[in-house]
Formats: sequence, C-alpha cells, structure tokens
Amino acid sequence: MNGPQLKLAGFACAYTPLALLDAAGMTPFRVLPVGGDWPDQAGTLLHDNICPHVKRVLNRAMAGDVPELSVMVFMNSCDAMRRLYDAWRAIRPQDRTFFVELPPTADENAVPYFVNALKRLAGELAEAGGDPIDQARLLNSLVAWKTIANLQDELRARVRRGSFPGGPARLQEIYNQCASRPFSDTLAALDALVRAPEEAAGNKGLVPVLLFGNVLPDPEAIALFEQCGAKIADEDLCTGSRLFAAGDPGTDPDPFRQLASMILGKPPCARTFDSSAPLSFARNVLSRARQAEAAGVIAHVVKFCDPYLARLPAVRETLRQQQIPFLLLEGDCTLGSLGQARTRIEAFMEMLR
Amino acid sequence: MMFQYFDTLVTGIENVLENDPSQKSHRKLYALEVARLGRRLYSGTDRLAWCGVVAPFDLLAAMGVTSCFVEFIGAMLAATGASSEFLKEAEDAGFAPDTCAYHRAVLGAGRKGMMPEPDFFIATSAPCTGGIGVMENMAAMFKKDLFVLNIPQNDDPASVAYLADQMRSLADFVSRHTGQPLSMNRLAEAVTYSNRAAAVMSEVYRLAEHVPSPVCAKDLRNFGIVAALLLGTPQAVTVAEAFRDAFAARIANNTPGVPGEKIRLLWIQNRVQFKNNLEDLLENEFHACIVADELNDVTWDPIDPADPFPGMAKRAISIPLNGPVERRVKHLADMARRYKIHGAINPCHFGCRQGTGARGLVALGLKQVNVPVLNLEVDCVDTRNYAPGQMHTRIAAFIEMLENRGNPWG
Ligand code: SF4
Ligand code: SF4
Repeated sequence: MNGPQLKLAGFACAYTPLALLDAAGMTPFRVLPVGGDWPDQAGTLLHDNICPHVKRVLNRAMAGDVPELSVMVFMNSCDAMRRLYDAWRAIRPQDRTFFVELPPTADENAVPYFVNALKRLAGELAEAGGDPIDQARLLNSLVAWKTIANLQDELRARVRRGSFPGGPARLQEIYNQCASRPFSDTLAALDALVRAPEEAAGNKGLVPVLLFGNVLPDPEAIALFEQCGAKIADEDLCTGSRLFAAGDPGTDPDPFRQLASMILGKPPCARTFDSSAPLSFARNVLSRARQAEAAGVIAHVVKFCDPYLARLPAVRETLRQQQIPFLLLEGDCTLGSLGQARTRIEAFMEMLR
Repeated sequence: MMFQYFDTLVTGIENVLENDPSQKSHRKLYALEVARLGRRLYSGTDRLAWCGVVAPFDLLAAMGVTSCFVEFIGAMLAATGASSEFLKEAEDAGFAPDTCAYHRAVLGAGRKGMMPEPDFFIATSAPCTGGIGVMENMAAMFKKDLFVLNIPQNDDPASVAYLADQMRSLADFVSRHTGQPLSMNRLAEAVTYSNRAAAVMSEVYRLAEHVPSPVCAKDLRNFGIVAALLLGTPQAVTVAEAFRDAFAARIANNTPGVPGEKIRLLWIQNRVQFKNNLEDLLENEFHACIVADELNDVTWDPIDPADPFPGMAKRAISIPLNGPVERRVKHLADMARRYKIHGAINPCHFGCRQGTGARGLVALGLKQVNVPVLNLEVDCVDTRNYAPGQMHTRIAAFIEMLENRGNPWG
C-alpha cells in the first residue's frame, strides 16, 4: 500500500488535522492499536493502568511494526496521549514528532490559539519535507475532507437502510482504509462505493441501537454487535464516524480558521466539552439516540480512559431518566475483550426486543 | 460539621500559641493558616470558588474570592481517615474505582453535601485530564458556572499570551459573578506578596538542601502545593518565613531533621495522604529522610506586579507535572543534584495517568544521574487496598540497596 513515493504522516487521535497533512502532500497513517500480536511492553515505560489504546499503539511501535514515517503528529487530547508522545520520542528518536495543542473547549481565546497551533504545524510539516501549505492548497484539502465526510455519511445511511452489503463491519474496514490513505485515493474509493447500486444487505429483525465510545477499529468487533442482534442505527466512535466528521467551517475566509472550527466543532469526544453546558455530552448521547430511534444505547469505552469515565455516570443517569436502556462495555480495543462480553450484549439485545 | 472541624482546629492552635509561645513552630503556623482557609471555605459567608490545581489563587484573593483546589478536600478526607465513605459514595454513583481517588473522594463529598456550595468553579487542564472531568461534574451537580483554564504544555510566547488572555477573561468572569471589578492595584499588591513568598520559599528549599538536611519528612509534606493556596496574601510570606527561620536555626544549631541522617530521598509527586508509618519507618529504622519533594520548588520567575498576567501564566505552565516528561525529568535530575539525593521514591498513585504514565521515563532519566527509583504501587488517598507489610518490605529492600551502593555524591 505504501509506495516509496508516499510521505507518511503517522497519527493516533481522531482530532488530528488530516486536511493539513493532505495539504502538505502527506498521506495520513493511523497507527491503529489492532492488527498485530505485539508483546506487551508498554507498561514498562508507561503504567499498566493507562488506556489500552495508548498502550497498544506503543506496543506496536516498540515491536517495530510501524512503517517509516515522515512525521508523527500527536494531539494534546488527554494525559494518556501526552505520555504516549513522551514515550514515542524515547523509543523512536528517528521520527520527526510534533505535538499539537488541542483546547478542551472552543471559547473565544481557544480558537485563535488553536489556529496558531495549526499554522505552526503547517510550518513544521514543510520543514519535515512536506509541501509548503498555501491558502489555496489548504482550501482544496478542506473541500476534500468535507467531501469524504459527506460520502461516508451516505455510506452510513445505506448501512442504516440495510442496503450496503457487508453492513457496518465493512464500513469499519472502509473507515480504517480511509484513515491511512492519500485523500485522493479515499475520494476515489468512496465515490465508487457510493456510485454502486444499493443492494439488500439484510438487517431485518435487528434492533436499532446507538453505539458510542472511543477506540474499536476491528471490523469483526463491529460485526459482533450485529451477530448479537443489534442494528447500529448510529455510531459515534473515534475510530468510526468521528475521524472524518467535520464541524461548521464558519464564514472566515482564512482556511486555517475554517480548519480550526471544523475540528473543534466535530461531534465531541468526551475530552472536549462546552463549559457553559456542563455534561452536555450526556445530553448529546440522548439526542443522538432519539434521532436514530434507538431502542437502546451501547457504550464501548477502553479501560482507564479518564475523559469517558468522568462522563459516563451522567450518560447513564440521563438515559435512565428517559428510560432508554444502556449497556456499558469496557474493553481494550480488541475483539478478544469484546468477545468476552458477547453474552452481555446478547442479553441486552434480548431485553430490548 | 466541616466548619466545626476547622473552627475547633483554628481555636485549638490559636490557644496553644497564645498560652505557650514556646510552642510556636513553623508547622503550627502553617497548620493554622491552612485551618483558617478551611474555616473560610466552610463558613458560608465568603465568596467561594472551587478550582483546579493551578488556578491563580493570588488573582482570586485580590478579587475577594476564597478559593481552593478540590483535590485539597480529597487529601484532607484521607488525612482524617474519612475518605472511604466518600469514595464508596462516588463509586456507587458510577464513578469508576480505577480513576484518581482524590477526585472520587471529592465527587463523593459533593454528593454527600460535604462540599460547600461555591459561587463558581474554575477548572484547570493541568495537571490532569481527570481534574477537568471532576470540575465539570461538580459544576453540573451544583448548577454553577464553570470557567476552564486551558494550561498549555510549553511556555512559548504564543502559549503564554494565550493563557494570560484566559486569565484576563477569568478576571472578567469573576467580576461578573461578584459584581466587583478587578482592581489592578490590589492585584499588584497580591502579586507582590506572591513574589515575596516565592523568594522566601526558595530560601526554604535551599536550606533543605543542606547536608545533613534540617528537614524531617513531615516538615515539608504537601508544603509547596498547599502553600500555593495562600499566595497573594501576607500569610504566605509569614508562613514561608517561619519555615526559613526554623531551618536556618536548625542548621546553626547543628540539629538535623533526622539525627544521624544516612540516606537522602527525593519523593516524586504527592505523598501518601492517609495515616501510615512509611515516613517513621524510613527515619527511625533507616535514618533515611525525605529531604526533597518534587512539588516543593519554585519553578517560576518573579511576576511583574504592573503586568501580572503573563507571569501568572508562566507560573501555571511551569509546574513539574505539566509539559513533556523531558522537562519533568530535567527538573527531577536537577533536584537530585542540588539535594545530593541517594534515591527517589515514586508512589505511582493509582489512577493518576499523567503521573504514573511517566514513571518509566522518570526512572530512566534519574538513572542517568545515578539515582535509583523505587516505584511503589499505592493509592495515596484510598486506604482500602493499602498493604503496609508489602510496602515495608519493598522500602526496606530499596534502602538496603542504597546503603550498599554508597554515597553517589562522594
Ligand atoms: S481512549 Fe481515552 S484515554 Fe485513551 S487516548 Fe483516547 S481519549 Fe485518551
Ligand atoms: S494525583 Fe494525578 S490524577 Fe490525581 S489529581 Fe493529582 S495529577 Fe490529577
């Protein structure tokens, strides 16, 4: 897949400004925490009580299972990600590693600061062998990003309608491919998929649920939900729809400003919030569940993820008040941990019928 | 109940100091000021802000707001042996037991009506992600406004300017809630107190470096982090001076903090907050003294009273638990050199991702300056899984190893 001409830009967080990487002529490469059986060594540098997403990404890097990268971009999303940044530099000193500040709120001071951080990253990418980013290039990449998001929206709609062969598991495969391909290839592949005629995929009899959480990239893990009787009527995972989802770019002609608005305005991961509406994360989950006409909500959250752990009690309470059944699964990003929860998922789906 | 507790504490210490001035000591003065702060927090009369760890307490003092970081309450509940009940309350409400117990204790205390209702909340993104989460929950619980200070990782000019701007916005936010505009004169006065206190605290720490050290493990436990709550007030200066004078006198009288000091230890991050005998064990059995704590240092420059926001911003960014681990290690290695440290103890507080997540690189970094690190596995607030026997065994083995390798500083 990675021909020698590709300048790979590694990343591990759904808030990474992929459009900027594209504008720099680089190919995003998501260092996913699945796909190999790497020795568990991360605990020696970090701690065993750190989120398994970060530990597995580090295990992968420590095992040398990461291609040559032109750059590796980290976002300041949470404590675990900061520690991953530190550890990554220690074990892969050869990488050009960048760290981008990511405000937890989108207030009046945060947006210009984030714009500035993105501009700095643009300069750093150019110094690391990327193309210089001018306004026109970035605008083009923003358009491409938005187009990818729209095409993925269409595929999601097909999955919901039961007219996308392979269903949500295949969509997950596509998400994973989109995360590690040049934008141009992603656009071409998605365009072809959307042009293909819809076909009955048979999700009849399944019960609609909202699936939210953070890291669950394994298509087989996604398939497991269907096998247990769930139709994923809507999904909000950082390895799923959230990677390419974009907020409103606003009206500012500066493309960096637009990029900042699109990132900070994405459907939020629990680490980003609105300080004027504390715990609105829980209300957002409720409204997505309602919009999707979900009979229940399933959260899949990796263990030790503080941003989610802090908001889950509010989610549980908000859903309880509305009598929407809720199932919380804690895992380690892999199918293995989810497989152990199979009986719980089946019992939950049984209850929803 | 809490008001009563602090009020009794204040009155008790005041009575002792009044009736028997010979009992006056730096620790008593410090305990008195902390108890007075506790009494104000629970008085129900002061304007009150619950904050994150690196809020600008001098700015808040200048604006007439009594303020405190919430983790202080977690530590206090642990110190008084009361944390378990509140931890359980939080866990019963769905807060996961594998999160930081400082935060769980606070959430439990909030739910049980043990946290006085504030006027507003000020979260800080440093030192940890969990800290913002707890403030968001508390703001929702009390239905009070929340202000978030995002603390950048580095002190480049853009980051300092950004945080300084946030602090200006914070002052506006506070004014809107108190109805009182910020007086730049009062802020300049507060910052002048902060600067004086910081200068004296630096002297305190320089004295602690003396060999043998004038400090014993209890002297400076939690000092740096709690003293920050007094910044902006004359009490911060008075307390710091009392420590300085006590240590200077001990050095002059050749009275070390730990008689027969053999081993000098650096404690990483926070101490164990509940009653335990680790410090006694170290001092009495091994003549080993915690002469330095990572958080007992002045890592910032004096703040310009005429233009205080950039200096306050740099101060918040500079704390050892913020920023890349390289910076933290550099600071620890520098402390190790200054204090002539034989070994370091890292409690690896369970649930603290920012802290424990750095433990491997911290240990490697200190190894490079010839300082071994003992990584414990202890929850500094939650006693429920505390295994004293195991702790003692590990500490004893560590000290024996340090004794056998001799003094790395010649
Ligand atoms: S899963 Fe949670 S803790 Fe882990 S990197 Fe993502 S936000 Fe951070
Ligand atoms: S111990 Fe760690 S997680 Fe807990 S409050 Fe302190 S920095 Fe935050």
